[in-house]
Amino acid sequence: MEKEKIYSIVKDVILEVLPDLQPEKITIEKSLRELGANSIDRMEVVTLSMEALEMKLPLMSFAAVNNIEGLVEVLAEHYTERAAQ
Amino acid sequence: MLALSKTGITGMGIISSIGNDLAEFSAALQAGKSGIRKVPSVREPAVSVDIVADIQHFHFLGSLERLQDIPAEKLEQARRLGRRAPLTIQVSLIAALQAWHSARLFSDRPSPDRTGLIVAGQNSTQNYQYDIMPKFRKDPEYLSPRYALEFLETNQVGVLSELFDIKGEGFVVGGASATGNVGIIKGCQLIQLGLADVCLVMGVVADLSPMDIQGFVNIGAMGGKHYANEPEKACRPFDSAHEGFIYGQAGACVIIESAESARRRGVPLMATIMGSSLNLDANSSADPNINGETKAMLSALRQAGLSATDLGYINTHGSSSPLGDKTEAAAIGQVFGEHASRLWLNATKGLTGHCLYAAGLVEAIATVEQLRSGFLHGNKNLETPICTHLQFCGAAAVQHSTDIAMSNAFGFGGINTSIIFRREQDGEKL
Repeated sequence: MEKEKIYSIVKDVILEVLPDLQPEKITIEKSLRELGANSIDRMEVVTLSMEALEMKLPLMSFAAVNNIEGLVEVLAEHYTERAAQ
Repeated sequence: MLALSKTGITGMGIISSIGNDLAEFSAALQAGKSGIRKVPSVREPAVSVDIVADIQHFHFLGSLERLQDIPAEKLEQARRLGRRAPLTIQVSLIAALQAWHSARLFSDRPSPDRTGLIVAGQNSTQNYQYDIMPKFRKDPEYLSPRYALEFLETNQVGVLSELFDIKGEGFVVGGASATGNVGIIKGCQLIQLGLADVCLVMGVVADLSPMDIQGFVNIGAMGGKHYANEPEKACRPFDSAHEGFIYGQAGACVIIESAESARRRGVPLMATIMGSSLNLDANSSADPNINGETKAMLSALRQAGLSATDLGYINTHGSSSPLGDKTEAAAIGQVFGEHASRLWLNATKGLTGHCLYAAGLVEAIATVEQLRSGFLHGNKNLETPICTHLQFCGAAAVQHSTDIAMSNAFGFGGINTSIIFRREQDGEKL
């Protein structure tokens, strides 16, 4: 799945976790923290995104992520790997 | 005896099967409305009893919208805290907002440090856990990180303290079916020890899982078998055909406050809490004990500085359990002697079902409402009383002015509690 589709799924998840957020506020270079997500919200975005993509990655895989783009890239990379197998 | 400072109730709120605020609940008691009905289970496995007094038509956001005269920023904060939370948290938020408002704490409150919080509830997340278990067994990786907060009973403490900015002592108490009374008793003690001026006591909805319900059936505690097709008749405290408790749901909240603090704020006491008692039978089983129950009632009277004849009415534990009802009836006879036949008795569980952890608070609210409004609610299904030495209220409510009342609650594990309330002469009807 291309990055754009994964980003779209992640965006839906962010809106589920932060229902008061205006969708247009979400841009890929922003961090979840900037959008008002606390540490538990951020963990929830990760687990819900993995669930939506039917992926299971160790949480360590996201250790270096510092914005939405980073999250999308980690998900996309493993999603492609899985598809190739 | 240690002189205890005067303590009372300045606010109450409730979501229940017979009313979703104080006025509705009080009117339902007067009208003899029962919340008990047949609710066929839609889940697997089906459990053996499907009669329950459940909270119906509860919608969190709709309930928030219906609340009046509450600061908009508080409603918004409550919405954020409750929007994605389990049912038990949502119900607590609404009932607590009602109580906080009725105590006029939004306009004038003691400092956060002088405000306490007691959550009377145990195992209230059982059904929430039961519901997510199948998914967890399949994909543990997808468990919500919120689970670690939400499965803890203290989530209630965190959520309510954040909403009301409570920074004094706060904790959870459990006492099986006496949990609500334990909460009130500990709240009074916080105030009497001088640790707080005001204390919010929240009785949490018992959101039982099918496994919990089957457990109560299998231990022989739950009724609803003989009257399986007549659910409105299934809960019959002190009636010869009683056969066990009927499960009820309610979230009920009271604000306990020192008379001094209430006076300073210019808020009337809805009732005084004159005395209370909590003792154990040293018994791990489910069988009630006449001596423990007697001791609880006598000790509460002693603390209140009352003699047995001062009391006019008892809101009994009366759960419709054959052994429980028989034991309580005998204990009341033992404590009150000849006066027992002049005391009025009723059992709120006959209308609300047994609200388990919240029951003590539901019945404290019922007791205070009857004192304030001068009525006694009926014992709907009491046709053939199990004994002749006691004076039970009839099937319908009656106008009756009472000054002093006792509310009993007894729990599995030999936990006995009694609380005595007094009508406040100058307590205006809010």
